[in-house]
Amino acid sequence: MSMKKLYSIFRQGIIFENPLLMLMIGLCSAIAVTSNVSNGIGMGLAMTFVLLFSEIIISLFRKLIPSMIRIPIFIIVIAAFTTMVDLVMKAYFPDLSKSMGVFIPLIVVNCIIMGRVEAFASKQNLPSVIADALGMGLGYTWVLIGISAVRELLGNGTLAGIQIMPASYQPILFFILPPGGFFVFSLFTSFNIWLKKRMEVSARNKELAAKKEAA
Amino acid sequence: MKKDMTKLGITLMLYASIACASLAVVYAFTKESIDNQSEIQLQASLKELFPEATVFEPIQDISSPDPNIKFESAFEVKSDSAALGLAVQATGPSYGGNATLLVGVDLHRSIAGVRVMALNDTPGLGMNASNPTYYVDKTNKVTFLGQFEGKFLTDPFEVKKDVVAITAATISSASLTNIIKAVGDAAIAYMDQKAMAAPAEGGTPAEGAVPAEGGTSAEASANIGAQPQAGGK
Repeated sequence: MSMKKLYSIFRQGIIFENPLLMLMIGLCSAIAVTSNVSNGIGMGLAMTFVLLFSEIIISLFRKLIPSMIRIPIFIIVIAAFTTMVDLVMKAYFPDLSKSMGVFIPLIVVNCIIMGRVEAFASKQNLPSVIADALGMGLGYTWVLIGISAVRELLGNGTLAGIQIMPASYQPILFFILPPGGFFVFSLFTSFNIWLKKRMEVSARNKELAAKKEAA
Repeated sequence: MKKDMTKLGITLMLYASIACASLAVVYAFTKESIDNQSEIQLQASLKELFPEATVFEPIQDISSPDPNIKFESAFEVKSDSAALGLAVQATGPSYGGNATLLVGVDLHRSIAGVRVMALNDTPGLGMNASNPTYYVDKTNKVTFLGQFEGKFLTDPFEVKKDVVAITAATISSASLTNIIKAVGDAAIAYMDQKAMAAPAEGGTPAEGAVPAEGGTSAEASANIGAQPQAGGK
């Protein structure tokens, strides 16, 4: 397994197959917790941790999991890691755990983890699985941080709890409410699609230029 | 087919047992820290509500007037031997599940302060109840729970009348207000029972601070139990 191949798996998750913006899975948590930046960071890291370890375990045991009962086994593995994250957060980061509330336990039913485990980890070897989990996790985390930064700044005038906007700024409550979440999310999606198109075009141009030169 | 099923069942059981065992290990490691966290939080909040207090004496004979609201623990707050008030940790239903508040009541029969112990709610909306920088009154920098400070127990405690709600979280605001109200009603009953009152100029209510003897405590809880019919509309 060459480094180059691993890198190409890793970068898939960030833009080209971003779980939120391109695959459109795991959206409920993305919209529910993104009303402030610290939640976005916490949720992104928690989810990346669960994704990474679930994918590793499933990939290691993939030959020992009968396909008929693979879904229940996936859920057991994911639920175990999620509960661990929940307990560790409660014990060592009580404030973060308090502000995330019910959304940490809900990582269990996050489609990103289920989807990646089913579509990728149950068929691939360990190195590519780690690259995939990190890529997908990073893809999820940057979008969460991005959405929550926009929503918190416009909806509350703060970033991670620190006042940024001048005191005279009247916060636009719309952005904190769920509809604002959808609105910001759709802006991020359009931006990502535009970026993806642009990158594809430039990659094709490069290829053409290389061919021309060779000819 | 039958053999298959047994085999699959055993496989699934194996995976589940391993997962359980590893969870048990993590739970054992974190349990102490989690318990400590809530104990530390409780002690810190009690001290915040009553900075002069030296003793928090647990009391049993105070009960909630509302069947949906449970009192987790209650304390008679004292500075040496003089009573300062009551503190009750109460849990009641709210928008995102149960919420636990610590409510302090002073001898003037007003709220000394309210602190959030546990709350599950929508981040950015109902969760603002525990946000120290979310103000319901921006000019005076009063938080949602801060507005209860100094409020008299006989006030109506109605959201949008004498209580300002958190924007877009009216249900949460009403539920939290209800919990505080329940503690207030129970505190009135308890203070009547124990003849606790603010010290008059010069004198100290020495008997008021002494907890009632065993014989009267059953009577006390019976009396408080009768309170909801009277006070619960």
